[in-house]
Amino acid sequence: MPHPEKHSADDVTVDQGRKAGRVVQRAYSRGQRPWRIAAILAICVLGLHAMGCEKLLTAKPDPGGRFDAPLPGLDNGELGDFQDGHAQFRKAFSIADGLGPIFNNVSCASCHSGDGRGRPENTLTRISRDAVDLAVDLGGPQIQDKCIPGATPERLPSGVLVSYRMPPPVFGVGLVEAITDSSILSHEDPGDSDADGISGRANMVTPAFYVPGSEPGGPPGPRVGKFGRKASVSSLLQQTVEAYHQDIGMTSSYRPVENVNPVASHAAVDPARDPELSDAEIENVMQYMRMLAPPAPGASTASRDRGQTLFTSAQCVKCHIPTLHTGPHEIEALANRDVALYSDLLLHDLGDGLADNRPDGSADGKEWRTAPLWGLRIAREFLGGQLFLLHDGRAHTVDQAIRLHGGEATAARDAYLALPVEDQAALADFAESR
Amino acid sequence: MRIRARWLLAAALLGWAGSAIAAPVVRPHAPPVPKPLELPPDSSMPPYHGSLDHVAYGLSGELRFAEDRTDGASNPDWFSFGEAGGFLFAHLSSRLDLAGQGLWERVADDFTLERAEVLLRVKRSMQAHAGIFLAPLGRTNLSHDAPSYDFAERSLVATQIVGVPHAQAGIGLRALPRGTSASQILWEADVVTGYDDGVITRAPGGTRIPSGRNNYGDQNGLPMLTGRVARRTSSGSEIGIAAESGPYNQTTLGGVHVDDLRFLHVIVADGNTTWSGFRLFSEVAYALIDVPPGLASLYADRQCGASVEAVRPLFDPLFRGWAGSRLNAGLRLDAVDFDRSIAGDSRSRLSASLNVVPRSGAVTRLGWYYEIRRDRFNNPTHLAGLTFTAASYF
Repeated sequence: MPHPEKHSADDVTVDQGRKAGRVVQRAYSRGQRPWRIAAILAICVLGLHAMGCEKLLTAKPDPGGRFDAPLPGLDNGELGDFQDGHAQFRKAFSIADGLGPIFNNVSCASCHSGDGRGRPENTLTRISRDAVDLAVDLGGPQIQDKCIPGATPERLPSGVLVSYRMPPPVFGVGLVEAITDSSILSHEDPGDSDADGISGRANMVTPAFYVPGSEPGGPPGPRVGKFGRKASVSSLLQQTVEAYHQDIGMTSSYRPVENVNPVASHAAVDPARDPELSDAEIENVMQYMRMLAPPAPGASTASRDRGQTLFTSAQCVKCHIPTLHTGPHEIEALANRDVALYSDLLLHDLGDGLADNRPDGSADGKEWRTAPLWGLRIAREFLGGQLFLLHDGRAHTVDQAIRLHGGEATAARDAYLALPVEDQAALADFAESR
Repeated sequence: MRIRARWLLAAALLGWAGSAIAAPVVRPHAPPVPKPLELPPDSSMPPYHGSLDHVAYGLSGELRFAEDRTDGASNPDWFSFGEAGGFLFAHLSSRLDLAGQGLWERVADDFTLERAEVLLRVKRSMQAHAGIFLAPLGRTNLSHDAPSYDFAERSLVATQIVGVPHAQAGIGLRALPRGTSASQILWEADVVTGYDDGVITRAPGGTRIPSGRNNYGDQNGLPMLTGRVARRTSSGSEIGIAAESGPYNQTTLGGVHVDDLRFLHVIVADGNTTWSGFRLFSEVAYALIDVPPGLASLYADRQCGASVEAVRPLFDPLFRGWAGSRLNAGLRLDAVDFDRSIAGDSRSRLSASLNVVPRSGAVTRLGWYYEIRRDRFNNPTHLAGLTFTAASYF
């Protein structure tokens, strides 16, 4: 209902419409009728054209150029689950929904840009006193620097070991989960028996108490850790539950108690009843991530072919193994296939330069899980034109990342540095085309 | 049985659409039917369709048929009620009136009690009012009924910054317009409950002022102030500036101090005029939000938005002898920035509309829109749609 202060919109419309009508009538007399007909025709043509024109009604993006595309070969039911999970992954939580009381961000998608890797402002701070003592009494294992009104955000305490972690990509984790332990363990060489200077080993971890045995990566443990920068988690369920609890402050039946700041004068809580997430919501997101496809690699070019050859000859493939194999899986699209992730998913000492000096499970302060080389081709599109590589995002190009490698990767790095500049560029081009 | 129900539904839809499209031809000297209640000098009331002695009443509604797509994927909701509302006006005496109005809208999936107020004409040019009423925060919030609107959707600045329809409980004074021929200054000043802390607590993913709208109770014991000053010319052009300011949040919970008093300021400027046969309208809003420190960097402390629209009658009357009918074409560009401190978290939209207005108070629109939404990483999502909407007073 229009407000008394103003004209009725109808009054205005009628008055001005009549006025315009007189203008139109004058236009008639001047023989300007065609432009009106042209305007109507143009709008009608636009409408009709829109019905058949993808661009006017938005076009479907190339699935190979996105981080949030489903794996090929999913059935209709799985695609329905994928869509449900996609919405849940994108869902931003409000305080009324249960956000907090302390947290890092408001949704999964708020840290994983386009469902890929994050930006430096999303960096998480992990703390501990040693491999076992996670400094829970000081706010560990992760600092939550945001809080709802009434709560106190956590601040980095002194006297603890600190590691800064960029949010990793979430696509392809279903394939990583489906890779058999034996496929990974077959590449272990903890004693460097072949004397090549590379001694990868698996991070054998105990699944969280709430992970059922039926879940991939679940008990009985220990199991091969596959997720996280130091491969400290074996189960995708555990990864999902902990991310909701630690990063967003959302409780679930698996982690029903709110994460609060232990050093705050009083423990404020959010107004939502616990558990704030249903098991179905956890399941949706987990299934969604399982079914996310890695982006398609770039087209083959002479430079990239040359780079691939150099990637092999420089011994990068010793750790960045081109393919691993999946085993049986309830999702057919994940089962019994080769996965071109360019990683052995093992821990390697990468030297003092990259060390965070914070042990994580059985991984020591210099060891990192070999990062899969996928999704780099389009990463810049989702990160404002920039790249943030390595665990803390310090490298902005593949070249920088290679140069920062040390420890077991020293020989490969030196081989890269010994290459002519154009060959270095070709190798980096190949890596960034993945 | 199912087939019969389908036919009945189709017949009902056609009937609704028909009421808007095939409205009766109003001859120049024919009396309006039905005869509305004789309203006070304030002639801004909608076209009431019924009257009972001193009570006038009516309904308004909008049907929406659309092909909406997001990044090429169709939304299955091809048909919906755009909005449905009802209004009632009781003229109790020469000075005292009661007004009530409610609106359910599809976009917010929410019912808003827009008016439940007592109106007292203090003097010829001034009116006091108390109760629940629409805050005078921009022209769109004051007048947004679908049948008198030229586009299928309200502008982004109206829905995403102001939160139209935005009604609150309060008390205030306003100037009554002196007809439509004289140039005049119009104003309104109210003390209202204001936005509540839903601006933050019910806002997922960042500050969203509309999440704190329609607050009929005060959380912190301190009201907000809202007002608008406008100059209207004799030709119908108008330019106005409005603001709402005050504390929005809850400071104590169960007797425990949980936060300091935090203020919200929303400023809205609007203007409309006609130029070369085009009816031009623009609305601009800027908001400053005092965000709790624990939420800083995720929740925005500055937001803004703007919309510009141009509507041109192409045929008036649309058919000879059908007075009041016309064909309008409209184009609107609008955008909002939910967080001025980052590049992303924004929406921008282009809308085009071709409207058949069979009579005053009814419209059918063929529309198209294209919208780009950007998340906090500045990643775009593309939305577009073809819409057919029919809206009418009843």
